[in-house]
Amino acid sequence: MRTSRIIPIATLALLMGTVACKKPAPAPTGPSQAEIDAANAKKAAEEAAAQKAAEEAAAKKAAEEAAAQKAAAEEAAQKAAAAEAAFNAAAEKALVNIHFDYNKSDIKEGDRAILQGIADFMKQFPQAKIQIQGNCDERGTVEYNLALGNRRADAALAYLKTLGVAGDRMSTISFGKEKPLCTEHNEACWSKNRRDEFHLQ
Amino acid sequence: MMRALFRRLAGAFLLLASVGLAAQQTEVVLSASSGAKLVLAVAPPVLSGIDQATADAQFTSVLQHDLDESGVFGLLKDKLPTATDPSSYGAWKDAGAQWLLLCKLTRAADGALQLDATAIDTTAGKAVFTKPYQADPRVPIRRLAHALSDDLVLQLTGVRGVASSRIVFVRQLHPGVKEIFQMDRDGANVLQLTHYGSLTLSPSVAQDGRLAFVTYKAGAPEIWGQRVKDGPKVRIYAAPGGMLVSSPAWSPDGRRLAFVQGDRRGNTDIMVLDLASGHVHRLTDGGGINTEPSWSPDGTQIAFTSDRDGGPQVFLMQSDGTNLRRLTTEGHYNASPAWSPSGAMIAYVSRFEGRFDLFIYKLGEGKAYQITNGVSTSESPAWSPDERRLVFASDRMGSMQLFTTDLSGVHVERLSPLTNCQSPAWTRAR
Repeated sequence: MRTSRIIPIATLALLMGTVACKKPAPAPTGPSQAEIDAANAKKAAEEAAAQKAAEEAAAKKAAEEAAAQKAAAEEAAQKAAAAEAAFNAAAEKALVNIHFDYNKSDIKEGDRAILQGIADFMKQFPQAKIQIQGNCDERGTVEYNLALGNRRADAALAYLKTLGVAGDRMSTISFGKEKPLCTEHNEACWSKNRRDEFHLQ
Repeated sequence: MMRALFRRLAGAFLLLASVGLAAQQTEVVLSASSGAKLVLAVAPPVLSGIDQATADAQFTSVLQHDLDESGVFGLLKDKLPTATDPSSYGAWKDAGAQWLLLCKLTRAADGALQLDATAIDTTAGKAVFTKPYQADPRVPIRRLAHALSDDLVLQLTGVRGVASSRIVFVRQLHPGVKEIFQMDRDGANVLQLTHYGSLTLSPSVAQDGRLAFVTYKAGAPEIWGQRVKDGPKVRIYAAPGGMLVSSPAWSPDGRRLAFVQGDRRGNTDIMVLDLASGHVHRLTDGGGINTEPSWSPDGTQIAFTSDRDGGPQVFLMQSDGTNLRRLTTEGHYNASPAWSPSGAMIAYVSRFEGRFDLFIYKLGEGKAYQITNGVSTSESPAWSPDERRLVFASDRMGSMQLFTTDLSGVHVERLSPLTNCQSPAWTRAR
């Protein structure tokens, strides 16, 4: 069965060879066909080599550029991460709770340094926005404490404005006595709960 | 401050509500014995289609509890005669029963419930109350017990009882997460009404049952609630710039909502929102804290808490903000006013020796009476619809739980063993 397929293909090849032989013979002057073929082949080989070298050079250059870009990106990311870490560290250091006397919303003398630190932080990081959260101890009514927490948050807001922090970079919210840090029924616990918290927004 | 312990005039139950109030305004100290109440005996109900254990648990014990908590019936439970025919009424009378309650409870084949109740005056030997009740199969049996108890109280006093009423309240599920709940007046059927996973506070219930409350679910507090009866809970009001809003209170006509708004300068003011127009009107003047608005039942006045004179005190004003006057004059912390359903009294809390107790100010007398007598803190008084009791939050058993008290402060009862509860409201409408 195999031979019967091979025979027609061989016949076709013979016929094609006959057709080629019927082309006119080249002029006898100049380099022989073999020499031309050799020259062409050499030229083609040289061109291929040059092409390959150019491609290799381009690839190398691209790789170098990519590496440089990657390094730059990594450096930028590292810088950003470092900046963020610095920001977060500064925020954590600056955004410390302040505390209040029972049923009061006056900023205590001892808390002024904390508020100055917050104002300095806000100046150092102009992109920072904060929420001031007012809180109370458990004594007194739910609603009155929501109002008192609101006044405590507003007291810190007003103080920070006097230190030069723009009002539109700060918001306030009151949680009254609804979010205590501490749930024991004694002054040590109550004094922790009577507070403003400062949170990044 | 006038701290005389006020006691309800024993026997006031025999009077109609309008004059019952006058009776309460008379200071008469009597022992709180069951002699002051009408003695009622509940005969074991005649059952059909319902087993004894179910009837005991879901009907008889519920009814007895309701009648007991009504404050106007004394229940006779010992040495009861067994016969209930007319010839036995003398024996019931001899046993001490003024009224004998006969019930027939039937569950039909299709599941429908039928209750036939008759109250016999054992002296006259005649029925003083007869009423049939029908309920479809989905209605819990205990609802029939509540309905019967409320009708018996109505028959005796002229004012419907509150066994069928409900308490709406706030419960903390996790630190920082509080939701609105409701439960039956006997503590059963606890139902969570909001599922916001945030701080949700300060429920107010309109006369038709619509809720309003404050939720922090969007960050800044907003007033949410129902614009239409049984409708969805939607945002009703948010202050400009996310400023504080708190303490919503439906007007008696249900068309307006008093609430509190902060001004970013440390002040909080009483505002009124007209629901139809959306118009908001400020009633107080931006001086200090003004909060906890409570409408008079005719809608013409508002009681509220203000620290304009220093510490928190209860003030009154007309509902347009005019005619401001201070109500409480003694003590350094008086707050949380709640105007009574008849308009004659204002309940509030007062701090005394470091603890908060419930007080009642009687407007007719111009005097305040202490209700709870503080070994613990009592907060957020709200009136029962029949004005006989107050519901409040207290830590007297450790965690904050809900209690009710009669107006003498003698009969304090825990409403539910649920812990971490606050801000109750008492309603017939849900």
